[in-house]
Formats: sequence, C-alpha cells, structure tokens
Amino acid sequence: MRNWWKRREDLLPQQETDELIRLENLVKIYDTGVLKVMGLKKINLTIRRGEFVAIMGQSGSGKSTLMNILGCLDRPTMGHYYLDGVDIASLSSDELSAIRNRKIGFVFQSFNLISRTSALKNVELPMTYARKSKKERRERAIELLERVGLGQRVGHMPNELSGGQRQRVAIARALANEPPLILADEPTGNLDTAASVEIMELFSRLHEEGATVVVVTHEEDIAEFTGRIIRFRDGQIISDQVNEHPRERRKEG
Amino acid sequence: MLLENMKMAFHAIRVNKMRSFLTMLGIIIGIGSVISIVSIGDTMRSLFSSLYKDVGLSQAYISIGYWIEDVRDSDYFTMDELDRLKEIFGDRIAYIDSAPSISGEVKAGGNKLKFNLSGVDYNYQNVQPVNMIYGRYLTEEDVKARKQVAVMEAGAAKKIYGTEQAVGRTFRTEVYGSMTEFTVVGVYKKEVNAFQKLLMGSSDDTGAAFVPWTLLTWPNDLIYSCRLFADPGMSREDMNQLFQEIMFYIAKSKGRNSQDFRLTTAMDEMVQVDSVMGGLSAAVGGIAAISLLVGGIGIMNIMLVSVTERTREIGIRKALGATTRDVLIQFLTESAILSACGGTIGIILGIGVVFVGGNALGLQVVVKPAVVLLAVTFSAMVGIFFGIYPASKAAKADPIEALRYE
Repeated sequence: MRNWWKRREDLLPQQETDELIRLENLVKIYDTGVLKVMGLKKINLTIRRGEFVAIMGQSGSGKSTLMNILGCLDRPTMGHYYLDGVDIASLSSDELSAIRNRKIGFVFQSFNLISRTSALKNVELPMTYARKSKKERRERAIELLERVGLGQRVGHMPNELSGGQRQRVAIARALANEPPLILADEPTGNLDTAASVEIMELFSRLHEEGATVVVVTHEEDIAEFTGRIIRFRDGQIISDQVNEHPRERRKEG
Repeated sequence: MLLENMKMAFHAIRVNKMRSFLTMLGIIIGIGSVISIVSIGDTMRSLFSSLYKDVGLSQAYISIGYWIEDVRDSDYFTMDELDRLKEIFGDRIAYIDSAPSISGEVKAGGNKLKFNLSGVDYNYQNVQPVNMIYGRYLTEEDVKARKQVAVMEAGAAKKIYGTEQAVGRTFRTEVYGSMTEFTVVGVYKKEVNAFQKLLMGSSDDTGAAFVPWTLLTWPNDLIYSCRLFADPGMSREDMNQLFQEIMFYIAKSKGRNSQDFRLTTAMDEMVQVDSVMGGLSAAVGGIAAISLLVGGIGIMNIMLVSVTERTREIGIRKALGATTRDVLIQFLTESAILSACGGTIGIILGIGVVFVGGNALGLQVVVKPAVVLLAVTFSAMVGIFFGIYPASKAAKADPIEALRYE
C-alpha cells in the first residue's frame, strides 16, 4: 500500500511489433435496454507503425465508436483489439488508464484543454499522471510547446489563445509521454481553413518524424493529407485505399 | 503526487474565490462557535475552581439535619464542644468556628454603609490569609475577652472614613438588637476579579469586616452550624475520612445517628459544580457542533456542483490517463483543504473571540490545546466525509460521457 500512487510498470506491455493496431472481428453493440444497436459489425483492420491514416464516414457510420475503442475509452463487445501487442478487451479500467496515459495521445475537435490552467500545465498533465518529476515535466512541456511553435505562450490560459493555438497546445499535450499512437478526432472541426491546414501540416510533420497518426474526419480535404483513407458506413468498412499523393506540406522558408 | 493534488486543489479553490469562501463560512462558524463555547465553559470552570480554592477547599460545615423535626437544645453545638473537637482531632483540624455573620448598617461619623460582619477566630488567618496593610489581625485575647474590635476591608474603610488608614477609628452597628461600638484595629486588602464580584454580589456598596466570633454567639452561645477547616495538606480521601469521623463522634456524643447530621464540604460542592458546568459546556458545544454538520453539508453541496461543472475536465483527465483513484483523491483533497482552511480560520476566530471577551471582563481565559486539536481533526474529517460522495461521483464518471458533456 505504501507506493499505491506509483504506476505499476509491469502493466505496460513492451512487445515490439510492426503492427501497432490490429482489430479482429471487432463488434460493438450498444444496449439501450429496448433495442440493441450494432455500432461496429465485425471490423478487421491493421495499422502499422508509422502510418498516417484517415478514418472517414458520415455521422452514425461508426467512426466515433471506433475512435472510442481505439482510444481505449471503451471496450469492444466482442472480438479483439490489440494495441502494441496487448489485447485491450482483457484489461481493467485502471489498466486502460495506464494504456491511455502511455500509449495514446489524444487530440479532440473541441481541444479539451483544462480551462483556467496555463498551456504549460495542460501539457504537463499526462506526465503528472505518469508520475514524472516536476523538473522533467517542465522541461519536456516547454520543449514540446516550442516544437509546436508556442514557445512564447507557455504561460497563457486557453482562453487567451486562438483556436489554432489551442489545438497546437493539445497536440503538444498528446506528445507528452511519447505515445506510439496519436489519435485525432475531427481535429480541424472547430478551425478555419488556414488553421486547419496549419494543424494538418503539423500532423504531417509528426508523421514524417515517425509517429503513427490516426485522424477521424468527415472532410475530404483533411483526409487528403494522409497516406491511407479508410471509409466507414453503417458500422462497416466500405473502402480502404492508399492515398498515393498526400497533400504536400509547405516547405518552410 | 499528493503535493500535486494539493496544488491542483488550491488552484481550483483560488479560481472560485467567492464560492470557496462562502463554502468555508459554514465550517468557520461551526469551528469558531465550538471552540469559543467550549473555551468559555472551561474558563467558567477554572473561575469556579479558583473561587472555591479562594474560599478554602478543605472547608466543611456540619449541622443538625434540616429534615430532623424533634431538634433538641443538645443538638446544637456549644463553644466547649468545639474546643473538645479540636483537642480530640488535633492537628487534623486546622480551624474550627461557628461561621457566624451578621449584616446591617454601619454608622461612623455622618457616614452610613451596609456591612457584612463575619465572626472569626484569631487563627482564621492561617486558613484564609488576608493581606494586612494597616494595624493587626484579631488576637486570641480579642476573641476570648469578646472585645468589640474589627479588622476592616480597605475599600470599605476608604468609603466610610475617607482613608484606608482607619486603625483606631470607631463605628457603630446593631448586634442582635443592641447598638454596639467597634474599634478598627486593622485594615486588609483583597483583590477580586470581575467574575468573583459578579458571583458574590456587588461588594462595592457593601463593606466587609472580621470581628471576634464570640461576639456573634449571642444570646445563649448555642451554635447551629460548625465550620471546620481540615489540614490543607491532606488528600481529598483523608479529608472526607476525617469529616466522617467527626460526624460520627458528634452524633455519638449527642446520642443521635450520624445520618441525622448534615455535612457539606467545599470539595464535594466544587466537584458537583464542576461536573454540572462541564456537562453544560459539552452539551452547548455539542449543539454548536451541529452547525459544523451544516457546514459539512455545505461543502458536499458545493463539491457536487463543482463535480457537475467540471464533468468535462474529469473526462479530459481520464482520457489523459488519470485513474479512478487519481480523480477521487483530487476531489477529496479539494474538499479536505476547503474544510481545513475553514477550520483554521474558525480556530483563530474562536480563540480571538474568547481572548477579546476575556480581556474585556478582565478574566484569565482557558483555551485547551485538546479542544483545538479536536476541532481541527473534526473539521478535516467533516471535509473528507462530506467529500467522499461527490469525489466518488467524479471518479466513477465514464470518460466518453464526460467528454461529451457540455
């Protein structure tokens, strides 16, 4: 009991596989009491390390359900979800917390920064839950904010930042614990075109640096930045195409 | 991580300053009133016990029971009997007399003043020391010869003669129907605090003087009640033993049962008063503690509001890797800190009120550390107890639902 606040490191699987995500016959059923709704119908999908993937679909297509399961916020009803070689379906909720903390970096449509808390503190948060030391957290958070171009705004509160800037803080936060997977749910949904392009270029850069990025979107021009586009309809994959010519990000300078 | 939680809690409290303060107010008032009420009670107890110490804790009165209907002359005491008691029980009895006193108007020159004249023996000084400032105390000779002399309190002397140096002055007063003239042979000074004045009646307009007790046994030298002082060095048990022995002896010598006599000891009376006061202050303190409960409910209410308001924040934290326990502890820390801050302010306020009030009345106030400790513990427990439900509500939140919350 003495060290209950310390994370159990043995929870975190360390297997190195080329497949970062593998879904096997994944089914998600929502039981509303009166009727059961199939959110996902037997999904089989593999995403390798270093891929930049867009998941597309209309609302109700099951892409949000998939997003929740990929993000370990929800568990599949049937089937298997292997993230980094670990079957998520068998984990407890505290183990899922640890997985979310270490393996996944979230970027949300509505930014989801903690209000009245500085950009720096927001970026530090995942490292706080990873029980990193104060010094380590601070240094890493400043480094990340500099990397997303907000080195001058570390002390700003979310309401003092523009939408694009907030989303960049969120991306810095997603990178805090160096997770193998970056999961972005409509990351440009609340942004104007210029800011959207800026954010997608940032994702492209992360991808070029080796990160695995999965973006859920319903906008074609956003999906065009990625290298692979998976389309959903009625809880099923209807197409899975390689995007031969992803939109080039502007060369700096 | 604990430190981190405390920082987060302080941050959340600071963000909602007004609300946090109002929430704390319940605890502040609760703790403040518990501390001040219990301390006022303790102060009263200490004042009473000092009052009894002042009167003499080794004191006891023995008299024929008021419930006895066929009281005979022999049931009263004579002066010889008192002398005999002293001989028999020796050093264990430090002092014995009949505790007579009269009150009436004293006249000196053109001045008049109401007086209490207490009849005492020459050695009353040994059990009830007084601070003589002029002249002398009563002597054995004064008492034996029933001399009409008095030792007067300085304040009264000043009032009636215009000076404290009243040795040699005379006054006249009625003693059992006949006008008697007394000569002042000594003057003493007595300091009383506001509380004693309050309890003993205003001594400002009533003078006090000691006269030989033998003057006040008129008309037939039969004494209704006998006042004893045991040797003050004795333990409470030894004193009670002594008083019982004396009772037994008296009853036997008068051919009665010892149950027919009434024994009142200062020690018993003090213990009784003290227990009544203690019970009273505990009861009132308990009622005040109810306000602490109300304060605790206030904390629970605000924490519930806070949890609902911050549902989205909880969702974000969970998505970023906070465990159920992380969230639970975060909110528990917040309510505990709210309550502890309120408790601290309440303690300062409560002690402040007691000290200011005590100073205004010129009293030595008593604030027991145990009471303060109890109040602190209680307020922290209130914070944790009333924080458990909101915190567990927060901790159990489903991250997907929480993130969708607007």
